[in-house]
Amino acid sequence: MMQRRQLLNTLAAFGCVLASTLIPQAPASAQTKTIRMWTFLSATGTTPREVALAQIIKNYEAANPGTKIVVETQVWDQMTPKFLAAHRAGNAPDISWVVTDFLGDAIGSGSLADLNELFIRKWPAEQVKDHASAYWDLTKKGDKQYAMFASPNYISIVYRADLLKAAGIDPASIKTWDDLRAAAEKLTVKNAAGQVTRYGYAQGFSEQQADPHMMIPYLLGEGEQLFKPNGKANFASPSGVAGMTFATDLIKKYQVSPSQSATWTVDDLFEQFSSDRVAMIQGPSVRVSSLQAKLGKENVGQMLWPGNGKTAHSPAVMAGWAVGVWSKGPNKEEAGRFVDYFLGAESEKIWVTVGGQSPLMASTAKAVASFVDQPGNGYIRVAGEGASKYGWLTPIEFNVGGYRQALNKATQRILVDGVAVKAALEEAETRFNRQNNR
Amino acid sequence: MTMYSRLTGVNYVLPAMALLMLVLFSPVLYGFWFSLFRIQYGAPTDFAGLENYARLLDDTELGATLERSALFTCCAVALTLVIALALAVWINRLGQRLGFVVQMIVILPWIISTVVATLLFRWVFVSDIGLAGSLVRMAGIPDVQLLNNPGSAMALLIGVSVWKRVGYAVIILLAGLKGIPDDYEEAAKIDGANPWQIFWLIVLPLLKTPLLLVTIVLTLSNLNTVETPLVLTGGGPGDATRILPIEVFDRAFVTFDLGSATALALVMFAGNILLVLAYVRLAKWKT
Repeated sequence: MMQRRQLLNTLAAFGCVLASTLIPQAPASAQTKTIRMWTFLSATGTTPREVALAQIIKNYEAANPGTKIVVETQVWDQMTPKFLAAHRAGNAPDISWVVTDFLGDAIGSGSLADLNELFIRKWPAEQVKDHASAYWDLTKKGDKQYAMFASPNYISIVYRADLLKAAGIDPASIKTWDDLRAAAEKLTVKNAAGQVTRYGYAQGFSEQQADPHMMIPYLLGEGEQLFKPNGKANFASPSGVAGMTFATDLIKKYQVSPSQSATWTVDDLFEQFSSDRVAMIQGPSVRVSSLQAKLGKENVGQMLWPGNGKTAHSPAVMAGWAVGVWSKGPNKEEAGRFVDYFLGAESEKIWVTVGGQSPLMASTAKAVASFVDQPGNGYIRVAGEGASKYGWLTPIEFNVGGYRQALNKATQRILVDGVAVKAALEEAETRFNRQNNR
Repeated sequence: MTMYSRLTGVNYVLPAMALLMLVLFSPVLYGFWFSLFRIQYGAPTDFAGLENYARLLDDTELGATLERSALFTCCAVALTLVIALALAVWINRLGQRLGFVVQMIVILPWIISTVVATLLFRWVFVSDIGLAGSLVRMAGIPDVQLLNNPGSAMALLIGVSVWKRVGYAVIILLAGLKGIPDDYEEAAKIDGANPWQIFWLIVLPLLKTPLLLVTIVLTLSNLNTVETPLVLTGGGPGDATRILPIEVFDRAFVTFDLGSATALALVMFAGNILLVLAYVRLAKWKT
């Protein structure tokens, strides 16, 4: 009898222990939601934008203990096609950053959820108005908002302020393309043996990690378009030829830009810039803060593209990153809540003051005015002014993937194979049209 | 052999065959099905038959890409084989300890990540902050831009490929050399054969199987490599190092033309199989 009671007691105690371990676990596992987000930034990285990303996520998780944001870092130029493939395979992340070049595909594929449904419809009208910009319009189709921009990227001239100052060049004095060439000539330095130790201007022309070509602002400044209304390339137009001639003449004729840049990637270009080998480069506003971290805050600045004498400035390519919620994701509501915070007023201040990005919301621009006025932060104002007055976004009505590579290849053909500018651009047009079935 | 014993054998291999079908052949079959459709936003839409394949034939630049792929593969495989064979014969003659150390050194490039190794080469040769450029300038030689010249860019690509894969080839050939009994060489010496005759008439024929294996593996790995050209040259300058895997990669991930990318990948797959069959046939390999 005693033994039986002992056995029952033991079983009861075991049952209690088991129950005590199970009871707290069940609600915890049910409450914790993991939201996967694809971006090219790392939440453990040390660049200004990565620090900002980590801080925003930390703030959100602190305010929402039941949600865990997992950042899955991807290679930037492959991330959007990979997201589209993952959407088709049914295993895309809850949230993904989408590059402008593939925005039309992302929306057309049905991979992005309508943010109006998820959270924007709850906003007051003033909040919606606060977001008004070309970026906002680009991600809107009909009455649906498919994404919101997280990283507006204004691609123009990034310069070494210290080197320009030493050469007696005021960036504001570079008003025309000829001024730009003259400044590049002045900034080019040769040693006693006649070897160039520093070039005035450079851009990378590799097909890998390709940035938009400098002939694009030249062409747009003349009032031409890069694509015809039917989506076919319009590279070899008279303005396109003039723009490409200007870019390649900097290398071939004036030798103020390195011939080696025919195979430089964007990263190679930044290495050269950071190594004092180039004074001015074509660069995006989002990389200025990283370059400042390396070279000193006051030593790196950004200026608008020069005009053609008739217009003050030529339009620059704005090739940023929009953030969207996966339409088939199992955690759309939670993902939407995070995106709402991630790109809201509180977070945008962090994106600007910590990440060094230019603001998208009018209220943020006002709130950070004193920060922008601080030495070294002038590029934020330049990028903001450029985006509102002199910006160009790639169309989303048709796929434009490959246009950067096509123009860079044309440059390589001119510089390395000696092909004539017009012929190289016509080749690029044919290639682009064929690749896109046009 | 009874029907029962025949079925028993089939039953033994059936699970392995099913796994192979699932892992190896199902993606190919899916890829083929996928290539028969028009693809929009990464998803198949209308049935297009062989349209994606016909578009490959219409591409006037694809022939040149194929030629470059053949040149790159032939040069890289031939050079790797010659260097690996020489190294294997040399290591086989070394003492045990020294031989082991040399083997470890030789195999290092093979075990390093391809992307990391190729990036190292790029940083050495990239103009003009690379190590190679600095050394050239220090020697007073005019700046040589290896990555900017079509010929030297291809030569560099072949060089990196040889460097990366020679370790694997050495290990396989060395295993083959170790498997040749010493008696054969001793008998040949007694018969008056010189070292060259011993190598040419005895060692080389006995290395036929490992040589064939290495040739097949090297050919396939060079023909299908995308990391090395992508990181080192990006297919440039111009189209100088644009080989078939880069073409597939660009179609799939730059212009997002998954239809023709899949069609081209499947044509390459068929080419790979034909090449292996041709090698085996040419070498009269009997099991």
